[in-house]
Amino acid sequence: MIRLDRVGLTTVQDAGRPGFAHLGVPLSGATDRGAYQLANRLAGNSPGAAVLETSGGLIFTALSDLNFVVTGADCVAHVDHRPLRQNSTIFLRRNQSVEINYMRSGVRCYVAISGGLLGPQILCSQSHDVFSGIIPQALSDGLEINVGIDSGSMSSLDGITTYQPLECVQFDWGPHYDELTSDAYKRLIDATWYVSAQSNRTSTQLSNRQGFALVMGDLPSIPLVRGAMQLAPDGQLIVMQADHPTSGGYLVIGVVLPTDLDRLSQLEVGASLQVVPNR
Amino acid sequence: MVTRVRPYGREASIVDGLSEGVAASLRAQVIADCTAAELTVIDVVPAASTLVVTHRERDGELVRRVLGALHVSSTAVNVRHEDLVEIPVRYDGDDLTEVATACSLSIEQVIALHSNADYQVAFCGFAPGFAYLTGLPKELRLARRSSPRPRVAAGSVAIAADYSAVYPRESPGGWHLIGSTTTSLWDTHRDPPALLQPGTRVRFVSVS
Repeated sequence: MIRLDRVGLTTVQDAGRPGFAHLGVPLSGATDRGAYQLANRLAGNSPGAAVLETSGGLIFTALSDLNFVVTGADCVAHVDHRPLRQNSTIFLRRNQSVEINYMRSGVRCYVAISGGLLGPQILCSQSHDVFSGIIPQALSDGLEINVGIDSGSMSSLDGITTYQPLECVQFDWGPHYDELTSDAYKRLIDATWYVSAQSNRTSTQLSNRQGFALVMGDLPSIPLVRGAMQLAPDGQLIVMQADHPTSGGYLVIGVVLPTDLDRLSQLEVGASLQVVPNR
Repeated sequence: MVTRVRPYGREASIVDGLSEGVAASLRAQVIADCTAAELTVIDVVPAASTLVVTHRERDGELVRRVLGALHVSSTAVNVRHEDLVEIPVRYDGDDLTEVATACSLSIEQVIALHSNADYQVAFCGFAPGFAYLTGLPKELRLARRSSPRPRVAAGSVAIAADYSAVYPRESPGGWHLIGSTTTSLWDTHRDPPALLQPGTRVRFVSVS
């Protein structure tokens, strides 16, 4: 069991809610899937185990001996005031505390406790979906969370590099790519895009300083998928992340490659990047 | 009408060119055919004229083969429900004046047109409990706003393109807001959680 002494910017996430998108329920789950899967693998957990996804301000205390691991963004974090090593399993004695202060680079890190977090589910998942407001367990300071049985099969992996920001996002063409004029295409590729402050677990929003207004007719709403890159008429690019709406009516010009999508979700507000079609 | 099956990124495939109402009726068949072919599908999501299947990256080709072999009817399969849901609306939306101007109508005419029409849920999407309602009078058809609002209040009654809808909870949104309701569209403690299901008939009743 662990106690959340301070929640900070933290939610519980797992592999999400597959099978309900036709009812308008997003998949949800961890935004950086690679970092989430790595955390569970290192902790010896099953692939869909629930973890803490945090952007900082988190303090928790072990109420029994346990193993845990922190992956994802490069964070300033401590175990009883000693700096913590990311991407490797750490043994925590009863009453020891872990503090994840803030992100040095990146937006979210993942804290997997060996055994996985056990908590209430809605529609088969513990994930906190910010877009839909599906919150199986609201976190509050002092809350105690049960942990499953440690499998004892923690692993270590060589060659895990620390988080590096992405500078170029690759995408495959999307269902509406043929609606782009050659001029719009050129501007899309040539522009430097900036991560805007409206980005969150629902989408990463990108704007550019040249402006990109489009004139387009009515489009029927189509289902959206994770990574779908919508071009809004005001020229913003809206890339769907974990809690994305299940359908939308703007042009879907591309779909970001899965590995780039994880890293895109980690970019801070104001970060600049290029978008590049994958060939 | 020509249907096409294409990749939609690495982990999804899309069928487009479907007639209105056909996509929703194909969902069960797609799940059955993929299961018979021993393919794991994650989500099968119909919309107005498209159907999207999400799957594992390595199954893309096989899923598209199943979708290409679907027997697609060219006429709408109408799921007619007898249930009629009446939704009381206060016509006080932030875009009401703008909508009236854009449609060259008075505010009273917008309200009369919107509240005298018969609607039916074509499909669900966007957010939990959000139903796309067909039946919007032609006079009220407008393109979506050029820039979505970061926050639209729960219960907002909105229109865009051929549809009307009610936002189940606060969310971003690009539709024109014409009114508001206190009716709850989505409640995880209710069974089923969604008030409006595909096929449900809906009427908006003006309250002041």
